[in-house]
Amino acid sequence: MRLSVAAAISHGRVYRRFGLSPRSRLDLLRNLVTALVRHERIEAPGARADEMRGYAERLIDYAKRGDKDERAMRMADFWLTEKDLIHKLFKVLAPRFQPHPGSYTRLLQIPNRDGLDRAKMAVIELKGNPLPPLVRPRRDSDKTLLNQLLKGYRQDAQRAA
Amino acid sequence: VLVLIRSPLPRLRALLQRCWGQLERGFWPGVFGGQSPPWGPALAVQSPALVPQGINDAEAPSLLESVVWMAAPKQRRTIEVNRCRRRNPSKLIEIKRNIDVCPECGNLKQKHVLCGYCYAKVKEETRLIRMEIYKKEGGPLKAPTVETVVLYEGEKPTEKDEGKQIIERARKRPSWFVQ
Repeated sequence: MRLSVAAAISHGRVYRRFGLSPRSRLDLLRNLVTALVRHERIEAPGARADEMRGYAERLIDYAKRGDKDERAMRMADFWLTEKDLIHKLFKVLAPRFQPHPGSYTRLLQIPNRDGLDRAKMAVIELKGNPLPPLVRPRRDSDKTLLNQLLKGYRQDAQRAA
Repeated sequence: VLVLIRSPLPRLRALLQRCWGQLERGFWPGVFGGQSPPWGPALAVQSPALVPQGINDAEAPSLLESVVWMAAPKQRRTIEVNRCRRRNPSKLIEIKRNIDVCPECGNLKQKHVLCGYCYAKVKEETRLIRMEIYKKEGGPLKAPTVETVVLYEGEKPTEKDEGKQIIERARKRPSWFVQ
């Protein structure tokens, strides 16, 4: 039950404020979503990338419904300003992410921007893109205590068998 | 100098006549001796603005009323007190304890941030791949409607890359780019 909405208190508000107005904020995020769908990996200020991630993943959820769906097509039409990307969304990204239930993007922080503002930057990419990987998954070295114990256990099991 | 005294009171008229006679003869010490009196037909102007006397008097009390009292330090802060304030731990720069060595290249990196050197390498390679993609597209706003795969020198497309668009890069595959 909302008794009052104080303008200066923002407890529980999830949406960040960007740009000049709410409409400008949506335009900013829309440009970022279009760039992500086109290039599949973009660098952006950390807060904008984080905000855009939710919108991008929901757009892919809509695209998974198929391009015959009226709502999905209207969403894609609004969110992608370059209309050739609507084809890419429905024909490339939707089949790519069909087996995944969610989390189609990866968000990683990169060193602060080189310019005067030293802004906190992040790189956001769609999973399964053809570009070189940003982070190589590292396995623990064999010399760690746990790995040595597991190796011993495996050898004992093999000898017993 | 012809002076017409037309006063209705005879006493006043007599007084004025006597005063004027004394002035004429120079018996009045207040006027210049022997010279003609300064009074003559002159223009009498009623103008209080020519001699503004009241404004100076009015300014002095308003100065005292319009002053604004502001805070000011009473004593000089000694260097000991200043040092205590400036060197308080809350004002010093915090030391970072989250700096590590990147296992790939050996440069320093923060634990939650990607290594700058490795990221620059990947960014450069991505830029070259994107240039090839753009050349293949042939123009703006012509995004392909099929998946893409990047092949380096001496690599053949496998059966996994059936319906995909192939981007050739004229160099050996880098060790860190594993499919």
